[in-house]
Amino acid sequence: MKLAPIENQWAEAALAAIFPGSSEEGLDGISAMNIAAYLGDVMGWVPFRAAMGLRVAIWLVALAPLFVLGRLTTIAGLVPAERERMMTILVASRSYAVRSLVLVLKSFGALLYASDARVRALMQGPPLRSVVPLRRKRIAAV
Amino acid sequence: MPDNVERRPSSFPDERLPSGTIMDGQTLANDVEEAFDYVVVGSGAAGAVAAHVLAKSGASVVLVEEGPWAKTREFGERVYDAFKRMFRDVGTQVIQGRAYIPLLQGRCVGGSTVMNSAIVHRMPEDVVEDWGKRFGLGGSITARALEPHFEALERDLNAHAVSDEALGENNRLFLDEANAHGVPARRMQRYERGCRGTARCLTGCPTGAKQAMNVTYVPWALALGAHIIFSCRVERVLIERGVATGVVAWTTAGGPATRSARRVTLHARRAVIVAASTVQSPNLLRRSGLRARALGRHFQCHPGYAIGGLFDGPVEMNFGATQGAERVDLRKTDRIKLETVAMPPELAAVRFPGVGRDLMARLGAFSRLAVWAVVVRAEAEGSVRTAWGGRDKVTWNPTRLDLERARKGVALLVKMLFEAGAREVWPGFYGVPSTLRSPDEAALIEKIPPDPRLFGFIASHLFGACRMGPDPGASVVGTDFQTHEASGLYVVDSSAFPTNLGVNPQHSIMAMSRLAATRIAERGSRTRAAA
Repeated sequence: MKLAPIENQWAEAALAAIFPGSSEEGLDGISAMNIAAYLGDVMGWVPFRAAMGLRVAIWLVALAPLFVLGRLTTIAGLVPAERERMMTILVASRSYAVRSLVLVLKSFGALLYASDARVRALMQGPPLRSVVPLRRKRIAAV
Repeated sequence: MPDNVERRPSSFPDERLPSGTIMDGQTLANDVEEAFDYVVVGSGAAGAVAAHVLAKSGASVVLVEEGPWAKTREFGERVYDAFKRMFRDVGTQVIQGRAYIPLLQGRCVGGSTVMNSAIVHRMPEDVVEDWGKRFGLGGSITARALEPHFEALERDLNAHAVSDEALGENNRLFLDEANAHGVPARRMQRYERGCRGTARCLTGCPTGAKQAMNVTYVPWALALGAHIIFSCRVERVLIERGVATGVVAWTTAGGPATRSARRVTLHARRAVIVAASTVQSPNLLRRSGLRARALGRHFQCHPGYAIGGLFDGPVEMNFGATQGAERVDLRKTDRIKLETVAMPPELAAVRFPGVGRDLMARLGAFSRLAVWAVVVRAEAEGSVRTAWGGRDKVTWNPTRLDLERARKGVALLVKMLFEAGAREVWPGFYGVPSTLRSPDEAALIEKIPPDPRLFGFIASHLFGACRMGPDPGASVVGTDFQTHEASGLYVVDSSAFPTNLGVNPQHSIMAMSRLAATRIAERGSRTRAAA
């Protein structure tokens, strides 16, 4: 199963809203990564049911502006701030199905985003230099 | 790369394998038909141990594993790569019910032992007693019968408490906090040799320190003459006139199909040993024609729920034992266990609440985050079935009591994290503020309605679905691990457990399998001597 170009475009817009990057944290956004190639790989590997789940999630966020913001456009037609606002509403939706589908998209995005070497390095701090515990303290093992 | 990973041994046990014992289904050019004394289905905790015991008895043994053999040297730190290579359904498997609960299972040589934390707990005595009283196992499964097997496993796999060198801050905080309040927390016992605290148990130990089956009992069984065929899925057990005579399997490509599958027929002269896991074993038996009423029923698990605590100083979960500290004092009274669990960045990014700038701020604070979890000995029972397309379907709903216990455990963790010095706690429940800033707010957790859709469980530790017992009407296998419906067909994994345990089950699974295989080997020897 493959995503259509328009579905990739929607997925990229949604994931960019979930992982926009942060200059304060020094984190690049997911847009700097090859999302389409990654999602193509995902769709080739995951079982049909999971692939369908991802596709439904993409369509949900794509068409959400109509229902959430009352705007006759897709997520790709929103400016970044509106996309983020809409995703914030969706992820906190009262509907379990809606927030679960957004979580599906966020999960696949997280597997790409946080696997990036630069993002990992910034999240985890500098590499550890030794195997010595960070703080030696007497611990009573029971 | 941290130098605790760089300093790897020059070779690993999964690289020094005897020639002629290994067959990779992905490179098989022709159909295969061979005969062995024993065919063991599954190479995880149960299958690997059983194969080793049977090979040691002098019998010819073949292990059949659905997944590939991912080698230690190839283990990376990217979770997606690990999901693709080693996890069932690329990590997308879920339990269905009122909520969808992720269910992580290994699908590779070594099974789930490749990606778990190798935690050692002997089967609690109250569980053994309960099995004896309620399920009629008293004459066969006793603490005394299991004792030598626990001892042998602990010796073989070097079970011991987490060392200072591999403890790490996430675990230390948990222990310090518990000790400060007189709570009996302890360092976990694990199977490892020379753990350097890479915190990468989930993606496969890159130093080979974790004594998972892929670097221990599987290579050890091969050294004793056993064979293994991996990337090969057993379709059904061959049963003729009520006797298991072998298996039919098909090679798998391990991902997008690139070539046609080959048929592998393995005849079993003495027995077929099923150790395919709680989800796969019952469905394999069903595909093989077994129709026991209890087949697929009584599924149980330990749902787990993790929360994060943000500290002022570094915690750096990328160093230290993935899981190294625990509290088991509440297992009997509240059916919960509290423990640490270091999350890789990818899974943290999934679990952290929010999206956009809020999520980015949380990701930026990752190195100051501690993650602790509650594991519930849930009372709920579910089922394992085959759904359309032949896929496995697990249905399970936690009871109200299970949810209340989980809630209580999380509230305890919230308090512990604050007492340990956390500035914020991120509980991750729907309907509760995503950031708690005071221990008093733990009360909010206790008010969450008992609805599984508000929780974010992950299921691990699976049991039942081929329950053991003397009554064929209420169980699938007898107290000798043999199915009631077909002789020579044994189930030795945790699907035969009548209930869950309340502690990490790998040690119990291996001890039960070792006990079963020892008895099967003795029976085989007696039969051969008589013949």
